[in-house]
Amino acid sequence: MASSSSLSERIDSVKNVKQITRAMEMVAAARLRRAEQRIEALRPYADALRRMTRRAVEGAQSLPDIPLLEEHDSIDRVGLLLVTGDRGLAGAFNSQIIRAGERRARELRREGQEPAWYVIGAKGAASLGFRGYDLDGVYSGFTDRPAYANAREVGQDIVSAYTDENIDRAEMFYNGYISPMSQVVRHETLLPLQQAEFLGTDGEEGDESEEGGEGTGGQGSEEGPDHSRALWIYEPEPGEILRQLAPDYVEISIYRAMLESTASEHGARMTAMRSASENADEMIDDLTMQANRERQAQITQEIMEVVSGAEATTG
Amino acid sequence: MARTPFPVEVLTPEGKVFDDEVEMLSTRTGEGSLGVLANHAPLLAILEPTELRLHREGGEVETFAQAEGYLQVVENSALVLVEEAHRPDELDRSDLESRLEEARNSLEGAEEGSEERRGYERDVKRYEAFLEVEGSD
Repeated sequence: MASSSSLSERIDSVKNVKQITRAMEMVAAARLRRAEQRIEALRPYADALRRMTRRAVEGAQSLPDIPLLEEHDSIDRVGLLLVTGDRGLAGAFNSQIIRAGERRARELRREGQEPAWYVIGAKGAASLGFRGYDLDGVYSGFTDRPAYANAREVGQDIVSAYTDENIDRAEMFYNGYISPMSQVVRHETLLPLQQAEFLGTDGEEGDESEEGGEGTGGQGSEEGPDHSRALWIYEPEPGEILRQLAPDYVEISIYRAMLESTASEHGARMTAMRSASENADEMIDDLTMQANRERQAQITQEIMEVVSGAEATTG
Repeated sequence: MARTPFPVEVLTPEGKVFDDEVEMLSTRTGEGSLGVLANHAPLLAILEPTELRLHREGGEVETFAQAEGYLQVVENSALVLVEEAHRPDELDRSDLESRLEEARNSLEGAEEGSEERRGYERDVKRYEAFLEVEGSD
């Protein structure tokens, strides 16, 4: 019968699809693990930078003018940095970032402000370009495995735009990584830098990190802060060091967002591919059942023919 | 004559690249070359792109092409934070040359006195320093 051979062809092709989705799931899982390790690798650097900032704050007699900490008097243009991926096939991963960015842009326009688009990832760039928006910055080709240099490039553009007053604020949207199964759209303010975050004026761990962390825990603490301040050498003076540290915070925030986004993308793709494989399994079961039924019907038919033939001759 | 070794850690955003004892660390600040020996006074400094040299006991020297960063010395241990640190043999001359070229072109187009211009100036400095490190081996 024609239909049973076409059924088995369909079963074969669904099996092929399943092999591909299964392979893509494995690849995504391996890349996800690597992305998670890179998030871990950033932590010691970010913590150490924070401790150095505290040290420079200690050393500064008064806080210097740091343009990145200052709010602009009037807000006309707001930089929106969207972190998307270079590829699709990852569920709502890209579209939910683009939607969140567009929603924010509508809000800004209602308040008489103009969005300035900065987009990481070819998918985001393509869909915003398709809508006819002018993009101030497009960065792609690395979202599978972002390097710090990529974040630095983006950060430098946004910091320059803010300092040169081409934009008056900067906000960022990205897929925050919670677990392979769940990502959440995060919306953060990049600029102006929050004073509490940069200078650590919330002061929770301020005293502990005084001695530079990984050293010989605790022994130096008998020296009072005044004493230790007198001994420190700063090169250049602490205010200048703080001014240089500020853009590093922006770069680190962007880098961390890129890494989380990458982990989220691989997680989302892994999940999407797993459910595609499961769908394929279901389809294979259904088709196999159907094929069995048809085969059974055919056998029954043949038996009937034999029986009735036999009856006809004996009768 | 042996010097007293002290611990040095070199961190980048992409991970730790060095964590061991050395007799001397040499790098570069805005003021010029800087060498740090054991028992140095507490120091916090901005580092410029250059060749980072770590002199181990026994005369062996490890070198890195180091980008901008910071150096903190406290309680006889040094912490180097740099945006990038590459082994000289990982550097790709033609790649660096094209990046330098690109940065120089962008620099020409950037407005005088703008932050954008300062950014490209930093890029030029970095790639020049990396090329020097690559060339010296």
